[in-house]
Amino acid sequence: MTQQPTKPTRFTFRTLILLLLPIILLVGVIVLFLTTGGGLDLESAAPVESLDIEHYQLTQNVIELHVRNTGPEAITIAQLVINEAIMPFTITPNTDIPRLARAVIHINYPWSYGEAYGVTLFTSNAITFGVDIPVAFETPQPDSATFWGFTLIGLYVGVIPVFLGIFWFPALRTLGRRTMTFLMAATAGLLIFLGLDTLAEALEFANEVPSTFQGIGLIGIGAVATFLLLDAISKGQTNTSADETQRRLSIAFMIAIGIGFHNLGEGLAIGAAYNVGEIALGTFLVVGFIIQNITEGLGIIAPVLRDRPSVKNLAVMGLIGGAPAILGAWIGGYTPSPFLAVLFLAIGAGAIFEVIYEIAKLIQKDTTREAMPMTIFSGVLSGMLLLWVTGLFIK
Amino acid sequence: MTNKLSRRDFLKAGGLTLLGAAGTMGANTLLHAGHDHNTVNTKIPVAPAMQHDEHNGNLPNVVGEVDHEKNGFNPDDILTDFDYGEISTLPTGQTLREYNIVAHNKEIEVVPGIVYPAWTYNGRIPGPTIRATEGDRIRIHFSNGSNHPHTMHFHGFHSGVMDGVPGSGPGGNVLPGESFVYEFDAEPFGLHLYHCHSFPLARHIAKGLYGAFIVDPKVGRPPVDHEFIMVMSGFDVDFDDANDFYGVNAIPFHFQNHPIQIKVGEKIRIYLVNILEFDLINSFHLHANFFQYYPTGTSLTPSEFTDTIIQGQAQRGILEFTYRYPGMYMFHAHVTEFAELGWNGMFEVTE
Repeated sequence: MTQQPTKPTRFTFRTLILLLLPIILLVGVIVLFLTTGGGLDLESAAPVESLDIEHYQLTQNVIELHVRNTGPEAITIAQLVINEAIMPFTITPNTDIPRLARAVIHINYPWSYGEAYGVTLFTSNAITFGVDIPVAFETPQPDSATFWGFTLIGLYVGVIPVFLGIFWFPALRTLGRRTMTFLMAATAGLLIFLGLDTLAEALEFANEVPSTFQGIGLIGIGAVATFLLLDAISKGQTNTSADETQRRLSIAFMIAIGIGFHNLGEGLAIGAAYNVGEIALGTFLVVGFIIQNITEGLGIIAPVLRDRPSVKNLAVMGLIGGAPAILGAWIGGYTPSPFLAVLFLAIGAGAIFEVIYEIAKLIQKDTTREAMPMTIFSGVLSGMLLLWVTGLFIK
Repeated sequence: MTNKLSRRDFLKAGGLTLLGAAGTMGANTLLHAGHDHNTVNTKIPVAPAMQHDEHNGNLPNVVGEVDHEKNGFNPDDILTDFDYGEISTLPTGQTLREYNIVAHNKEIEVVPGIVYPAWTYNGRIPGPTIRATEGDRIRIHFSNGSNHPHTMHFHGFHSGVMDGVPGSGPGGNVLPGESFVYEFDAEPFGLHLYHCHSFPLARHIAKGLYGAFIVDPKVGRPPVDHEFIMVMSGFDVDFDDANDFYGVNAIPFHFQNHPIQIKVGEKIRIYLVNILEFDLINSFHLHANFFQYYPTGTSLTPSEFTDTIIQGQAQRGILEFTYRYPGMYMFHAHVTEFAELGWNGMFEVTE
């Protein structure tokens, strides 16, 4: 069998023309279609309109709606109804909103604290768009008090539980090898549970993203990109350093990053929930929350139990895992954006699943000398059950 | 909804507690938001200029003004537009009143910025107010200039073939481009109405095919200074079989923004018809006054002295009253939801 001589690749004028030909033809087809309709009767009886009410702001006697036209054509806002009353309003920059443009609708309305309101917008084509204000209260403005409040939330939700988990380090490192493998498996179980949870939340937020921005596609992009990127980084490290200790440390860091994104998503959700006035259910739940999230700290340190990571490394990992909750609370509280929430949660899901993959590889290495199928099984199951059972107390 | 709390719900809850604990939302500040405002009720019965006052932006109202000229009718004109028809005398000596009525589709700006694909009699909502005296012969040359079958169904005495309902003969289903002559004697005296009776009935009425039909008693009614016709209706602009806007003589808030001018001591008579589709009842409430009420107008003796009456669909009645003091006086549906969705008006009473 003779080898075909490989032709040298040359970029000629001919290649350029051949590359451009389909594009030129495409332009022709589009022009033909736009001018003749291509034989299809595409005139719709009613215009297709889509308006996304991104968020609302309540100040004393004023309701402000921030809207975006996510439909194919410009929209004109004609009238507005609040709780079965037609209300005068002003709109900036203009009552005509071009495609994908935003506008702010200002209504002088004597809303009452703690009551519910429904706002309906009528476009000039009599198509209605509504938003519910489930509990009315003054929207927090970015001042030092709310800033500190959101910071505290992040501390309780993210930083404190993660560090509490890390404080188990001295005790756990006295355990035997088999127990450590069990803990690794348990961490994998925890992460599977968290990964599913993160994905579910991303899907939930995806429903709120305007259809133009394709929430589900966004999840795919965020999750797959993060998974492959972390995988590439990890493989690069394997190639450059043969040091097992170093490798386990970097896996611990990656777990911290994954959990960090998860907590960022949680922070976003809390901030956004606070903004729409969801009601607090009591301090018992906060305690329950700390109990459940303490397992996240445990997960971070599991791969490095047999090593001697520096206190500094442990502290940095704790911050990476917990502090994003603070950032999330700020973003969610001040500029709630379903788009960002989906993106962060998707990144979190991708990171978590990649870390599970890394842990699986570590466990596989551990079990080459001695197979421990029941240890792995019971470990993974324990990890998942731990989150499930602690969840029972708080849901 | 709260039965199935997700992990995130829990997180929200926990976070909120914390935020509360952080003392970021002073409860006092929050409570103030609910009590500092002036309520709508305290603001309404004031001078008309206040309605457009920038400090009074809390009053329900539309933004802008509909193009009455383009619509082809103005609720102000409808108020006093009584159509006595083309009058002649039959060989029997009976008075004949002839009307030409055309049903056609028409785009009508029902609230500023929203054009509704209405169906109309003679291009207006409500249709012409047909007025005759008890015993007159009514002859209506009805033609259908639209692309749907329509009819005219009158309330009153007439033969079955003149009833204008499907199954009653050619007058019960006047096809596009066709016409029919409805003929009957105006009986009994009172305040009646007419409307289209084609299927689907609710849609045919809601789209605008209705009008008032007044039959005066032979002896006449006592003279008054002003007679007004008010037809209460609504518009379902997004076709979900629920009204979005309400009004009297079609256009929401018209008489709030253009108060009806009357004088102290003048005798006022209102012919009030309710043709509101989809909602069970409608009502009329007069501020700072009481009126004599003649249900269906079929008696010359009032049945009630009141300031509020309710009417189901096709119920109607005559109101008579006089204002004692000058001022701005509201009249509106005391189904307050309708009032704030457009069925609200004002009398401006001067010395």
